[in-house]
Parts: sequence; structure tokens; C-alpha cells
Amino acid sequence: MKTLKLCIVLLIITFSVKAQNSDKYTAAMQKGMALIDSASTSEQFAAVANFFERIAASETKQWLPQYYAGFCNLHAAILGKQDSDTKDALYDKAMSYAEKADALKPANSEVLVLEGYITFMKMSVFSQQRAMTMIPKANALLEKALAIDPENPRAYLVKGQNTFYTPEAFGGGKAKAKDILTTAADKYKNQKASGFEPAWGARRCQALLQQCN
Amino acid sequence: MKKYIYLIVLIISSFSPFAQTRVSGVIKTSNGKTIPGVNITLVNTYDGASTDTAGRFAFTTAETGTHMLHYVTIGFKPDSIAIILDGKPLNLSLIIKEAVSELNAVTITAGTIETGDAKKGAVLSSIDIATTAGAVADIVAALQTLPGTSQAFSENGLFVRGGSAAETRTYFDGMLVKSPFSSQLPDISSRSRFSPFLFKGTTFSSGGYSAQYGQALSSALLLETKDLAEKTSTEFSVLTVGFGAAHTERFENSSLTVGGVYYNLSPSYSVFKQNINWDKAPIEKTGNIQYKWKPTKSSMLKVFSQYSNNDVSLFADNPDSAGFIHVIDHNKNNYTNLTYQDYLNADWRIQAGASYSNTHESGRLDSNNFRKNDHLLQGRFTLTRYLGQRSLLRAGAEAYQNGALEGWNDQSRSFNDNLQAAFTEGEIFLSDNIVMRLGGRAEHSSYLGDWNLAPRTSLAVKTGTHSQVSMAYGIFYQNPDDTYLLQSHQLGYEKATHYLLNYQYLTSGLTFRVEAFYKQYADLTKYDYDGFPKTYAVNNYSNLFNGGDGYAKGIDVFWRDKQSIPGGDYYISYSYLDTKRDFRNYPIQATPPFAAKHTLNVVYKQYIPAIKSELSTAYAFSSGRTYYNPNNPDFLSDKTKAYNNLSMNLSYLTRLFKQFAVVYVSVNNIPGFNNVYGYNYPSNGSIREPIYPAAKRNYLFGLLVTIGDNTFNH
Repeated sequence: MKTLKLCIVLLIITFSVKAQNSDKYTAAMQKGMALIDSASTSEQFAAVANFFERIAASETKQWLPQYYAGFCNLHAAILGKQDSDTKDALYDKAMSYAEKADALKPANSEVLVLEGYITFMKMSVFSQQRAMTMIPKANALLEKALAIDPENPRAYLVKGQNTFYTPEAFGGGKAKAKDILTTAADKYKNQKASGFEPAWGARRCQALLQQCN
Repeated sequence: MKKYIYLIVLIISSFSPFAQTRVSGVIKTSNGKTIPGVNITLVNTYDGASTDTAGRFAFTTAETGTHMLHYVTIGFKPDSIAIILDGKPLNLSLIIKEAVSELNAVTITAGTIETGDAKKGAVLSSIDIATTAGAVADIVAALQTLPGTSQAFSENGLFVRGGSAAETRTYFDGMLVKSPFSSQLPDISSRSRFSPFLFKGTTFSSGGYSAQYGQALSSALLLETKDLAEKTSTEFSVLTVGFGAAHTERFENSSLTVGGVYYNLSPSYSVFKQNINWDKAPIEKTGNIQYKWKPTKSSMLKVFSQYSNNDVSLFADNPDSAGFIHVIDHNKNNYTNLTYQDYLNADWRIQAGASYSNTHESGRLDSNNFRKNDHLLQGRFTLTRYLGQRSLLRAGAEAYQNGALEGWNDQSRSFNDNLQAAFTEGEIFLSDNIVMRLGGRAEHSSYLGDWNLAPRTSLAVKTGTHSQVSMAYGIFYQNPDDTYLLQSHQLGYEKATHYLLNYQYLTSGLTFRVEAFYKQYADLTKYDYDGFPKTYAVNNYSNLFNGGDGYAKGIDVFWRDKQSIPGGDYYISYSYLDTKRDFRNYPIQATPPFAAKHTLNVVYKQYIPAIKSELSTAYAFSSGRTYYNPNNPDFLSDKTKAYNNLSMNLSYLTRLFKQFAVVYVSVNNIPGFNNVYGYNYPSNGSIREPIYPAAKRNYLFGLLVTIGDNTFNH
């Protein structure tokens, strides 16, 4: 009898510890998502990036903390006024997290979109030297993302955004971007993301569409 | 039972948020600067914080006991300390050390100029090479704008720091290229065989290079091919001199490119006045295949194969008969290269390669038939062991089977050589600020019947955040030219010793380098021959022996500014060269015609959004060269006047049939400088014939269209 009681107690403890751990993960991710929603400056994104990096360091089997660590570092660089070398290092850091997410969740459309986004931004740091090799690379990643999930609105958004910021002479321009962004806006209407899966970009898409007119 | 319950409560309490410890503190650099955005993590938990603008952080944790506190941010070395959490607030004062980034890391730069897209320290990107004005997308011509080189006038090759063209060797993905140029024609240089668009990076070394590269006395040109093509696409180009097409197919882990060009210069030459009396203007047909396979993340297989065929016929001045020599030349070249590399794990890297090339040159000089064939089969294996973060040890072996044949009417002569080489070197970081490379190379040539042992060493020391000083010393051996080996079995290695001292200042927008060098030559090939030998013909020399020597010393300066002009970028390179040598049939040490005392290049590129065009301008200056005057008892003491050239390229980016297109216009020698490369004399010295550039002014128009890839690619 005693032994049975002990077993039950031990079982409960084990479960509670486990439940506590997964609750802890859920709670932390919820907090992180809220932090992303409220972040608007480079410093804020850097702080959220740090937050996700801490989760990512312990949760080595979860791809989402890695993904958001990459996403936030990317935005810390995009919104910041750092010198080119620091920006470049931030993009490299963002990419290293995206690659970790890719290793945990291979052939995932969202991760490929993030990689395409980072590649394009890294190109922009030294565009004269990098445009020739890195624009095709960014495009290839986005095409791959679209091939895996043709309904992914972020794939169209980033593609449209890259087109928006590429000079017309180099195959970009507002007119071309508008078509892609319109498709993105349509896809956003039907997007279904569960849990903490990426769902960002609808507002950005509208803002860019307005600039296209 | 009670005992257990207490124990259980104790265990649970350790997981529950009862005992909170507040951890706070400040993070600074060793000289007291506060760093914002540092990520502080209690290892294996989510707990932690970021530093604010004053470098302060604070968080609370429910953990107890001894834990590691880890702190990291970009540009600094990750660090950690052990802390004890027992509920009492902790206030920490932490020091974070600056990390060594790629750009400010100490690297061996003596003698080496890197170009490419991946490296931040790269001096030129591959697009720079392709768009340098006046270079018309010829790698070697573009490299002639860099310090340490002399303008190649009418001779094939890259002339580096007083060295002859044969002293610069080209390596294609690490494999030696036997004949990187088409035939040498009388007083006309030909283009290099490889398109600059094949390569992602070029390392141009003007001395002191690694023990990995042998058989080069003066310079190593390392071409590194691109990785997998990103997309399936098709390209067409139409130029005033011909057309080309290439198709690339991208597969999951591999890509295949098949392409070819056909150039025929006669339409262009019939419109633009030529100084050469062409019988049949050059026709070039080239086809190549590239296959890249990336089976795993860390490995890469590259296969490249190219066939090219060049035909030309012309009437060359013959000062002796006051008439012409009718020269007909056919040149066929096969080049195949296969390389594989893989990282076995984080510490070991293997590289293996095999290449084969053969050239068949045949033709006529008036009624005489001549032939010049050569071949090279090479195998190479390199093993690299990484030590810690940056240091490494490398060892490798190579085997070459090399031969040539020369024929004149019914007669012919040939030689074959088996050369084995082994090399080893270490790149050791003695500290964050000092790196040393120490290595050596041993070779054995069956034809020369001799060994050589070449020590090489370099040292680089960081002198500031952006600056460093480096130096290099090395001994370099090379087999004498094929032409000499064909005529003598008694020759030995030619030898050069390099001493270099280099200062470099590098930021992402500015590059400044200055390098002083001294090079000593020994055992250069000498022979007896009447007159001044021409490299295009088949000549008979007598009494060949390794009796020559010489020296070259000078200073090279390079300045590049990518930040001061919006959309613009310029660089200036200057070389001072003082050299004399006694080789070939020179009676004394003299400055050879291919060496100029002062060489200056200014290259300026500007993107002009209003006309969607990139304008590239290049000015080249070279002080007078020596030429052989049989009437002057002082050997090679006459000098030509200085050489000047101003070239421009305009690339207009547009769309054609909804496809990306570039319209390209290139003009060289816009002001029409009357340049003279040298003079030819008949053997009695009665008159002199100036050697002019093939055309006073060259024009090239082209259109490049890329289908299937809507973005800027080439």
C-alpha cells in the first residue's frame, strides 16, 4: 500500500514537473509574442530578440523560439541606425537562428521566407557588391517557400517588399510590387495560423500597398 | 511515510517560485564603456535580461544553488561566471571583452589582394572585375588596374613586379592552369580563356604566397568558381564581335550550366581602323559545361569543362625583308577540372582535385609549318586540421604529368616531366593580434632530375582597430619555360626569393594599403641567340644554362573609397618598380621591356539612377619602357614615351520583351593617345618600325538578356 501511494505521489510529481515545464514554455512564448506586438524600435526588438534567444538556448528542440530570435534580430537591424558592419553582424546572427530553425523544421515555408527576408536585407548593406549574387539567392529562397506552401501570405509579402525596394532597372519597381502585394493581401484574409506559428505581416502589407499607389 | 512527504515537499519547493533571487548589475568594457543590449542568461533557464543604455540589467529568478550566468552581444566575446542563488540579492559588475570580427581580425595580407563577394576585406568584387572600363570583361586586364602589375602591351600574360609573364601562374579552384591564354601572336596579346562570370572570388598574390602554390616565381592568381546557381535561367548576349548563349538548370542539390560563345572580329575590324594587317580577323568558338553538386551542407563537387578554338591569320611586319610575314595560327584547347571538398567534422576538411588540359597550336609562318602542343594532368589532395577558433594546420600532395611538343616543318622535339610536390603549413594565432604562417614545399621533377625545398613564412600584427602590419618571406621555384625545356635536358629550377612589408588600413568603406618589396632572382635561364627573340616564333637557342639573375624592388600603393560619393566608388593604385635582370640572351643586367618604372591606375564607377546606367571610367599611365636598339651599344637603354589610356564603359539597365537586359557600350583610349609599345629593328639596325596597339581606339557594343530570372544577375 505504502509503495503504491509512493508511486502515485512520484507519478504526480513527475507530471507536475513536466506540466510545469510545458506551461513555462507556453507562458514564455505568450509573453514573447506580446513583446513582439508592442515592439516598434530597434532597441525593443533587440530586447525581444534576447528574450527569445534565452528560450531558444534551453528549448533546443523547438523551432519557434529560434525562428522568432531570427525574426527579432532581423528587425533590430532593419529599424536601427547601426553602422554597416554592426548591421551586417546582426543579419548574420539573425540568419544563424533561421538556420537553426531550418534544421529543426526542414523544408518549412515560414523559415524559408525568413531566410529570404534576411538575405535581401543583408544584400542591402553593401548592395553594390552583393546585389548580383544575393538578390537571386533571396528570390530562390522565396520561390522555394512558395513551392512548399502557395498559400503563405508572408512569402508574397516579402517577395513584394523585395521587389518594392529593388530599382526598376534591376527588375523591381512599385508597379510590379503592387501585383505581388495584392496577392499577399488576399492570402492574409484566409491565413490560418495555430499556436505560436508565424502570423505577422498583414499591417505591413497594407502599408506597402498604400505606398505603391 | 512522513519522512517521504517532507522529502517530496522539499523537492517540489525547489521547482516552485517561493525563493526568488534578484540578480542585477552592470556590464562594461575593460575601459569602462557601458554596453547596451547585452543578453544575460541564467544557463538552462529562460531567466535573464538585456542591458539598458547605461549597461544595467536586473531580473529575478526562482532557481537556487550554483548556476552559470552567461552574457553575450554582437562584437564582444561571449563570457560567463558562476553565481550562487540563495535568495539574497546579487549585484554584479561584469567586464565584457571585444571580439575579433572578420573585418578587424588580423590576417596575412602581405602580397595578397583578395577580390570576391563573400569576403569583406575583398578589394574588388567579381562585378568590379567584369565592369572595369577598358578591361572588356577580361580578368587579367581588370587585374592590371591593381598595384604590383605592369600594363601588358603586346605580350600575353600578367606582369607582376618585374617578373615575366611566365612567372605568374593561374590556379583554377586550386588546380594549376597550364595555358590560360590563347596563342601569342606577333606583337598582339590575346585575352585570357576564362570568363570572369565563372568566378565568385579572385585572390591575386604579388608575392610571398602560401606553400600550397608552387611553380610560380612571381605571382599566383587564384580563381575560385561560383557555387550552385540559384535559379534556372537562360542568357543571351549579342556583341559587335559576336554572340553567346548559356542555359542554367537548377536541380534540388545541383546545377548544370551549358554555354558557348562565337566571336568573329572581322565585322568590327572592318569598321574601326586597325593597326594590324589582318588577313582573317580572329574567330573564337568556346563551349563549356559546369556542374555543381552539393550532396550535403558541408560538401561540394565542382566539374568544369571547356573547349575553345581560335583561328587567326595576319601579315606581320618583317623589318628584315621590309615586307611581311604571313602568320596563320590555329589554337585548340581543352580544359577539364574536377574538385571536391568536404568538412569531415568541425575540425577536419578535405579537398581533392584532378585536372587535365591540352593545347594544340598549329599554323604557318609564310611557307613553314609549325606546331606547339602541351598537356598537363594534375592530381591534388589537401587535408586541413582546424585548431581552436582560427588556427589551422594544412598538408597536401600534388602530382603533375606535364609535357610539350614543338614542331617546325618535318622536325619536332618534345619533353615530358613528372613532378611531385608535397607541402605543409600552419596558420597559428599567437594572440588575437598576431598571426603567423609557417610552411614549406618540396618538389621533385623527373625531367630536371632534381629536388627543391621552398620555405615560406608570413607574420601579421594588428596595430589598431582597422590597421595592421604584415611581412612575408619565401623562396619560390619554377621549372624553366617549355620552350627551353624542349631544347635542353640540362636545366634546373629557376629561383626567386621574396621579402615583403605591408601596411593596411581597412574599414568597410575605405581601403588603404602600401607595400614595399624586394625580390631576388637566381638561376634564370640564359642562352645564346642572335638578336632579340620574339616569343611567338619557334626559335633555336644554344648553350642553355641557369646562369641568369636579377632583382626587383619597389613600392605599391592602393587607395579605395566606397563611402564618400553617393552611388560612386573609386580607387587609385600606384606602383614604383626598380628592376634589372640578366636572363635570356642579355649580355648584362638590364631592365626588361615588360617592366615600367611608374604605373598608375585610377578607376571610378558611378551609378546614375536618372539614366539607369552605371558609368565606369579608367585611366592608366605607365612610364616609358625599354626597347632593344641594335645600334645602341648600351643594351636596352632606349625608352619609349609614356603610355596613357582613358577608357569608359556605360552599362544601361533596361527591360526587353519583359526580360532583364543590359546595353553595354565600351570605348577605350577616348582621347586618342598615340601609344607606342616599342620598336622592331631589322638585324642590320637600319630602320625601326614602331609597335602600335592593335587599334588606336576600340569600341564595343553589346546587349545581354537574361530570361527566367527577373532580377539583376549579370
